[in-house]
Amino acid sequence: MVSDAMILSKEYFMGNMVNIPLIQPIVDYLLNVPFVGYIVAILLWKPMFALLFIPGLTALMIVLLFIIWFERKLTARIQWRVGPLEVSRPIGGIIQPMADGLRYFFQEVIVHRDSHRPYFLQFPILIFIPVLLPILFIPAGSIIAINTPYALPVIVAIVSLIPVFIIAIGWASNSRFAYIGSVREAFMYFAYEIPFIFAVLAMILVYGTADTTLIVERQTIPGIILNPVAALVFFIAMAMATSRLPFEIPEADQEIAFGPFVEYSGILFGLVMTIAYEKMYILSLLMTILFLGGGNGPAILLLGDLSGAIWLFIKTLVVMMVLAFLRSIYARLRLDQALRFGWTTMIEISLVALVIGVIINILGWYA
Amino acid sequence: MIRIKAPKPDLIGNIKLHIDALLTGVKEAVLPSTMTIHYPRERRKLPDNFRGYILFVPENCISCFQCSFVCPANAITMKKADNERNYPTIDYAKCIFCHFCVDTCPGNALQPTKIHDVAYKDMEEMLTQTEEMVKSPEIQREDTITVEYVIEDVDLLFRRIAEKDELVVKTPPHEKVREISSCIEPESCLACAICVGVCPNEAISIESSDVEKVIKIDSNNCTGCGLCVKECPVQILRLTRVSEDESEGE
Repeated sequence: MVSDAMILSKEYFMGNMVNIPLIQPIVDYLLNVPFVGYIVAILLWKPMFALLFIPGLTALMIVLLFIIWFERKLTARIQWRVGPLEVSRPIGGIIQPMADGLRYFFQEVIVHRDSHRPYFLQFPILIFIPVLLPILFIPAGSIIAINTPYALPVIVAIVSLIPVFIIAIGWASNSRFAYIGSVREAFMYFAYEIPFIFAVLAMILVYGTADTTLIVERQTIPGIILNPVAALVFFIAMAMATSRLPFEIPEADQEIAFGPFVEYSGILFGLVMTIAYEKMYILSLLMTILFLGGGNGPAILLLGDLSGAIWLFIKTLVVMMVLAFLRSIYARLRLDQALRFGWTTMIEISLVALVIGVIINILGWYA
Repeated sequence: MIRIKAPKPDLIGNIKLHIDALLTGVKEAVLPSTMTIHYPRERRKLPDNFRGYILFVPENCISCFQCSFVCPANAITMKKADNERNYPTIDYAKCIFCHFCVDTCPGNALQPTKIHDVAYKDMEEMLTQTEEMVKSPEIQREDTITVEYVIEDVDLLFRRIAEKDELVVKTPPHEKVREISSCIEPESCLACAICVGVCPNEAISIESSDVEKVIKIDSNNCTGCGLCVKECPVQILRLTRVSEDESEGE
């Protein structure tokens, strides 16, 4: 038992610290410095490390900056254009999202007269609660913030909250485009939610547990081979949930000018624009955990505990890149087409996935 | 009436179409057929007859005003120089780069270039004086690569060549044809004698008889400067070409 006095002491944090042999000498030196040592111990404490570095905020920032650039560049390449380039020519314009972010930051935030002012200003910030909370339950190797057997239901429940916030944003904007966008978001939510939950449920049955750490441990064979149908359903549901083309229906730049987010400007637009990408990051992490073996991979000795995290990061990035790739080859479906697809084909396939999950569960593969 | 039915591919056909789209995307992502010219760093290879900035060679100019007459945008005005000759100035604010003036110039005094990216500070500066037209404008060139579109068989190909394109076209040396002023419609002559007064070489004279006055042009003294052509109020004087042996024979 850990006594009350021990909690918050340096020794308590050092007991559960991330071990990275590459920087261990520096860490050892810093731990002995009076005040800095305490901070280093907190930062390297596994739950805090998961929250702040990987798969938490730092990784999220890197992913955001990279994937926005990558999406634009890849789409441009496939469409015979050049894409962002002039901001930093020698490195192919990779700091373009940062330049855009700076521009958003210094732009005026306009709150128009008809909007519901408090909600209009609050929701872009409040939406980060459901967007960022699921990261706590994602294990990056041995680094995890909250280890619980109910991790997967919690993640699915929190992710399901995001559309509610987006609809609220559209309502607070009180404009016709935002209204159409909100309604479309609500419809799309109905279209993908059931197949999405079925796919997750199938995987819970396959592994016999909802604990993300255990799931990763039990994946000696990646889940995509065990239940490829569930992987397909999950992937399509992910494209719908993050409003990627061909399901970019709620945002639809050309029709309703970014849908629920049409009235935002300045830094608030910067915040709401990244929501879809953050959601994409969360769902890609979930897909990596469920189907691609999470942080499993050849151990990199020099990185120690970070090795699994790096593998998770790479796999997640690959999933996100595939999602970004979809944008350049598909046209947008109509809302009714997407709904029909979601309520017929998707549910049928997801039921097949569920049956496969039940069979594997009865055969007891994980044991 | 012909009705076109929307194609309804079956499941396998649908999957095939999806795979086709994905493969096309992958192919273009790996080896894109991008045809963009990165302009300041690359330049497109332009043909020698490109209609760009116009250069002026004063030695070839005979002040015939043809460029000024033909200009559809009224961009060319003639300006009197110190040697009493008239030379063209081009207002690039009006110029439409049709190069009618270059085509019409009898002495090749106006020459085309491939320069198409000249910037001016204001409208007044765009009125290019004769002195500025003699030399090509100063260009800061960042390009090292010339890009060429080539048609091979039926494909339009995009080819990069690591060389600088020379923007000032080297025209073949102009074979000077001797031209003299001549009257093409003597019956319309008013005998106003303006041409006599304007001729710098005293090549034109008036022969009076009892019935009429006729101008006579001395072909040996005429240099073909064309000033009389410009001044003639009824525009019956023209510069006509004289072949060498014919002029020797006279």
